[in-house]
Amino acid sequence: MTWKDRLAGTTAPELAREIDIFETQIDLKKQGKVEDRLFAETRLRRGVYGQRYDNGQRHDGVGVRALRFPAETLTKGPETLWDAPGMQRIKIPFGGLTPEQMGVLADISEEYSDGICHVTTRQDIQLHYVHIEDTPDLMRRLAAVGITTREACGNSVRNVTACPIAGVCREESFDVSAYARACAKFLLGHPDTQDFGRKFKVAFSGCQHRACGLVSMHDLGFIARTRWNDGVPQRGFEVYVGGGLGAVPYQAKLFDEFVPEQEILPLAQAISRVFARLGEKRNRGRARIKFLLEKLGIEAFRELVLAERAALPEDDRWTALIRDATMQAPSSPTPAGVGPSDAPAPGLRSWQATNVYAQKQAGYAVVTVTLPLGDATAWQMRRLADLARRYAGGDVRTTVEQNIVLRFVAERDVPALHRALADIGLGEIGAGAISDVTACPGTDTCKLGIASSRGLAGELRQRLSAKFEGLDPAVQGLHIKISGCFNSCGQHHLADLGFYGVSRKVAGTTVPHFRVVLGGQWEKNAGSYGLTIGAVPSKRIPDLVERLTQKYLSEREVQEPFRDFIGRIGKQALKPLLDELAVVPPYQVDRSFYSDWRDPREFTVSDIGTGECAGQVVSRIDFDLQSAERRYFESQLHYDRGDYRLADDTAYAAMLEAAQALIRTQFQDMSGEPDTVVGEFRARFCDTEVFYDVYAGAKFAHYLLARHADRDRRYSQERARLLIEETQLFIEAAYACHTRLLEKGPQGRIPSMAATPAAHP
Amino acid sequence: MDLHRLGIKVFCAEHGPLDLPDLIPVFHRFIQGSSLEGLLIDVADYSHVHHGPGILLIAHEGNYALDGSAGRRGLVYYAKRHSGGTLAERLATVCRRALMACRTLAEQPEFAHRLVFSGEEIQLFANDRLLAPNTDRTLAALRPALEALCDRLYRHRTWGITRNGAEPERFSVTLRASAPIGIDDLLTHLGD
Repeated sequence: MTWKDRLAGTTAPELAREIDIFETQIDLKKQGKVEDRLFAETRLRRGVYGQRYDNGQRHDGVGVRALRFPAETLTKGPETLWDAPGMQRIKIPFGGLTPEQMGVLADISEEYSDGICHVTTRQDIQLHYVHIEDTPDLMRRLAAVGITTREACGNSVRNVTACPIAGVCREESFDVSAYARACAKFLLGHPDTQDFGRKFKVAFSGCQHRACGLVSMHDLGFIARTRWNDGVPQRGFEVYVGGGLGAVPYQAKLFDEFVPEQEILPLAQAISRVFARLGEKRNRGRARIKFLLEKLGIEAFRELVLAERAALPEDDRWTALIRDATMQAPSSPTPAGVGPSDAPAPGLRSWQATNVYAQKQAGYAVVTVTLPLGDATAWQMRRLADLARRYAGGDVRTTVEQNIVLRFVAERDVPALHRALADIGLGEIGAGAISDVTACPGTDTCKLGIASSRGLAGELRQRLSAKFEGLDPAVQGLHIKISGCFNSCGQHHLADLGFYGVSRKVAGTTVPHFRVVLGGQWEKNAGSYGLTIGAVPSKRIPDLVERLTQKYLSEREVQEPFRDFIGRIGKQALKPLLDELAVVPPYQVDRSFYSDWRDPREFTVSDIGTGECAGQVVSRIDFDLQSAERRYFESQLHYDRGDYRLADDTAYAAMLEAAQALIRTQFQDMSGEPDTVVGEFRARFCDTEVFYDVYAGAKFAHYLLARHADRDRRYSQERARLLIEETQLFIEAAYACHTRLLEKGPQGRIPSMAATPAAHP
Repeated sequence: MDLHRLGIKVFCAEHGPLDLPDLIPVFHRFIQGSSLEGLLIDVADYSHVHHGPGILLIAHEGNYALDGSAGRRGLVYYAKRHSGGTLAERLATVCRRALMACRTLAEQPEFAHRLVFSGEEIQLFANDRLLAPNTDRTLAALRPALEALCDRLYRHRTWGITRNGAEPERFSVTLRASAPIGIDDLLTHLGD
């Protein structure tokens, strides 16, 4: 008996067929009949993702060791070993879950993963340490309860997200759940979404002013609107396009103020067609739709889309899916309430203040279950499913803050539910508050992670939870979000206090750091992004949080939000604090700085023998890169003062300075003239690909080359902001390049160019 | 029964406070020194999760953990991949790996006299709801192999087997000996 036999007839035929095909592809790959890159994209489109160390190399704190998996030569993608554990991403459209689905998620997490269901920042569920050969059965079991992992990763339409309180929100225009469901169904596997150069993220919000679906950071976003025609309400959406976080965050542009509900699916299709046809395909770093928008401009893009829309062949599904989905939506609360519990559990009042929201349906509430770091055990997930059946009529959503909400809880049942949640270890207060830290997987499991975002999040969560009730309400309400690298999976740009992982070389040893991003706006659908103000050693981030929040409390004006406070005092006022905390003690004085949170391995133990504290030699490049950083900081100050032209030029100069710093390691007497710097940089670091990031490729180099080539630059606030973000990434890339060259030793140099100008056009 | 995803939990007593994150450097050290059987890959920290898997030492063949499920700490080992041999041999293998890990962990200087494993109560579970749902029928099918394992582990002591919980929880039984027995003795018995 197999799961395929057991579940025969319980799954939609097309879903079952897709999984059978994937299983066949696995067999063919094992026989060597599928090329690596093709198989990698194939599995990614089934949500089967790589994980850290899957290239078979791991630094164990002493040295890099080979992980000798049984299938030594078999791979599941370029430099990705077959037997290495991986991650399975499971799409949960609009975060909607049923108790039955939760039960299956619990079962498969126990049987194929590590017993943990992890809620992501885009309402997915992820399982880690999964073997690829277990994935077909895992998918079959999910398919049997109506969940597909199709297009959870890869260059495809990712999980369609939506506000977790859609349908019960007191301020929404209308319930967007049905539209998100219809959109997810329509775009899934659609022929017009199969040829994207990069991923495509869609979100729905019920209102403009709350965080809801974070529309502004999405490739395509819909905000519910009701228009009145002759006294008759008409549903539609304000549509945004071209937003995204990533290394350089872009705010989505308004595409149309009102698109009638029956038009949203054909519009999404037309946008998909334009993106597939004109979007970048070769350079991944420029392949998101935000770059196409930037290139074309919103007006030209709109014209292309509308022309495409006019030419689309009629499709019954445009209206049928919307109609079917809206018919599925619950029209009235189902549970009647099961009565009060014997006695309230301790902490009920505090918990109600942060975790309970009164629905627009009188007598009912939404209860947010705070999941620490987005994690729930299989056992907790099953108990939650039971509680959802008992108290919430089975109405459950995941949230982008990595929690779970139970909706339609009768208000009189709230104390009993709280007690039941406390009994399973899920009665924690502070949902969405400062202690409820959001983090991507970072170095725990992500191949791209630079620093331990979850380790830091765990540490901050522990410290802040312990004193949460004693914190000022203004501090309680702040958001902390952490990413392990610049790619923003932890959504650090949107936080009051955001952090993303970087590294620094200190006396020859790599020290984990986090870049500090302050003043992002979570509300108003991710209304604005924070700006980076500097890097602080990982181990000092808790001190920074403490000192920054104290400064805020002591210096704020009446009712002044944190974001406004940061804007008012400016980055210049914060720099002394950052500088003070940026100091890394010598290795012999405090070794803890040389390893990350919850990970005792030292990053580069082999370097310590020669580069220890007493004889610290600071090379010129360290000073030069620091100087580039200072100039970058100045560009931010110019930006804050509203001098966007000067900010832009200064950021450009900072990039030139960082490039020059690298060039000087090979050619000391070069001139600082921009054409020369860029020419030398191109010849020595681009043509040789020495500067290229292992994952981002030429992306960061392109920032300098593009700005340098832009001779007739049109200055604007938006362009300056983007350039400043790019500059900071370029400088980080220069640090990383320098580190790589150091670690390679003398052979990392380019001897033929060592002391003379490089030939360049 | 062609059951491979088998696991063992050996309960422990803590004499003195033990924070789960204390395990992290120890498990990293185990990776450096290949101190436990299997291809040891990485450490996963779930110390923030209530009654969860605690700290996991991820390996290719199976995972080790100082687990806190059901509110009781214990060393868990569970196999993830198919292995050869009969069911009795596979049971013995997971049992031996778990017991070896208990012994190795208890020997660490950080845990000297603080972490004490005892062998008279052992939980055995199956991470396979297809082949081994949590039913009396599964228990009946597995009983001969479980009894053989108990005979081998507990020798002349009397012992009992009790099935735990019900579906949808995974199949699990508790093996309980009538008198205390140490980890070393169990390992000696398994080795015979």
